[in-house]
Amino acid sequence: MFFHQLHNELWKLFGKKRTYIGFGTFLLAQNAMLIAFRFTNWKQGAERMLAGNGYLVQDYISALTVAVIMLIPQILLLMPLYASLVGGDLVAKEAEDGTLRMILARPVSRLRLLTVKWLAGAVFSMTLVVSLGGMALLFARLWFPWAGLFVFTPGPVQIFSVMPAEEGLRLFALSHLLMAVNACTMLSLAFMFSCFNMKPAAATVLALSFLLLNVVMENIPFFEDYQHFFLTYHFRCWLLVFSKPMPWPQIVQAFCVLAAVNVTTFIIGAVGFHVRDIKS
Amino acid sequence: MIQLRAVQKIFGRRPAVEDLTLSVPRGEIFGLLGHNGAGKSTAIGMMLGQVWPTRGEVRVCGFEITTQRRRALQKVGAIFEAPIFYDYLSAQRNLEILSHYTAPTSKQRIAEVIDWVGLSGREQEKVRTYSHGMRARLALAQALLPQPELLILDEPSDGLDPEGIHEMRGTILRLHRELGLTILLSSHLLNEVEQLCTRIAVMNQGRKVFEGTVSDATRRRGWVRLRAGDFHQAAQLLKRALLITDDRDGKLIALADGVGTDRVTRHLVEQGMAVFEIAVEEETLEGFYLSLMKRGKAGPPPG
Repeated sequence: MFFHQLHNELWKLFGKKRTYIGFGTFLLAQNAMLIAFRFTNWKQGAERMLAGNGYLVQDYISALTVAVIMLIPQILLLMPLYASLVGGDLVAKEAEDGTLRMILARPVSRLRLLTVKWLAGAVFSMTLVVSLGGMALLFARLWFPWAGLFVFTPGPVQIFSVMPAEEGLRLFALSHLLMAVNACTMLSLAFMFSCFNMKPAAATVLALSFLLLNVVMENIPFFEDYQHFFLTYHFRCWLLVFSKPMPWPQIVQAFCVLAAVNVTTFIIGAVGFHVRDIKS
Repeated sequence: MIQLRAVQKIFGRRPAVEDLTLSVPRGEIFGLLGHNGAGKSTAIGMMLGQVWPTRGEVRVCGFEITTQRRRALQKVGAIFEAPIFYDYLSAQRNLEILSHYTAPTSKQRIAEVIDWVGLSGREQEKVRTYSHGMRARLALAQALLPQPELLILDEPSDGLDPEGIHEMRGTILRLHRELGLTILLSSHLLNEVEQLCTRIAVMNQGRKVFEGTVSDATRRRGWVRLRAGDFHQAAQLLKRALLITDDRDGKLIALADGVGTDRVTRHLVEQGMAVFEIAVEEETLEGFYLSLMKRGKAGPPPG
């Protein structure tokens, strides 16, 4: 029964056109970024950095390198938006449309219903992230050769790494596992708000506001020593897999914190949903 | 099948249902009447475990709904005022989705139900292409899927055209006759309730103001229309003779228990009063309902 219900939730989720907005936007954004990378001085900047550090440009300006470059802003900006959009819809849209009342006229527990909905959302998050990475790599491969990976991030997570293509691909795949956890966390946040009596858009906006609040506070100098309290600090863990040596304790810590946020938001949402009256 | 005992529901500070005690016996078509905001939908929500009662006990099919919801709703089907589905999916897929929240349902059972409601051949079409009437039939199909013993219908005829209302009425009777279902029907259409229901409960401002059979409701205020030379004088004479208990509107009298129109006529004629017409005034459910509403929450059942 559980798998039937999960299967049905996936049907409902992937049957809606708005579920695919994120996929479509990623497609457009990636192609725009590829064109920008190839035809502006963005590429020359990366080449200068490699050459300046004694590396051969043709060994590292590759499909893998460009795919990672494209992922950084998209994971930061677009992924939270689309994960929250779907998370905010999961319960609140059904309540708004009236289908939730029809479901809850049946002998299914509210906890079971939320569990299958959250799992369907988690499947969506993973699909979104895997598609994002897959598309990035595919489109980058159309324009760039298959060669080693070069990752440079100047921001709070400072990374300068070069590695052969095989290792780069392995780490690229591993980073997607952590990106999927990030997406799930944003979805869970929106899902939690969605369990309360509010419009789907409100749930999405609240989740994104929470993210924005984290970004702003993390960047205030006063909070420099408290960065690990912010969600965005842990969201960057996917970049850490490209560090050499890989900081496993920090990655595991971020993974645990994000998993805990997922569990906590689910519990808060489930309690809110359980005590709430479902009316037309 | 349904028992509510001293149920109360308060939203914030506003009581939506107060001290509601109700019993729907097996095999009946039970009507729940009341104007908008009277508390009908809240009461139905509590019966389905969608709204938590603040106080009191709600039992459905013998099980307490707040603690044994799954068992209570195992054999219950429900339809709400607006038949809403996943428009972007086919009718068949909608039924599959909804049925799996109760129990695994075979494709054969789904086909049977689709056939029963007359949607065969259209089940693969997306629900967004359906008319309101077809959606109402699909709503009925989803309610019938778990082979229910109890059907809760919240304004099932809402938004239907006269033909659709007639068809829905026929379907409800057919469900009762052929499948032996107990049906709780909440409706604004008093005519529909009068034709379908054996028992009714009327709610006003969250309180039950009447519960009884439809014939009780229409018989209780059995007024007799009297056209006499001087109505008021005639009413005084009849009251003095203890033949009537009440009069109203300058034309209606309420006979005392055991008194017939023959005795009233004879008495008036013996007193030298001209009687032009005397006839039992048939009270409609509508008239009864409106008189209950006028009395407001203070009014005990008339009679």
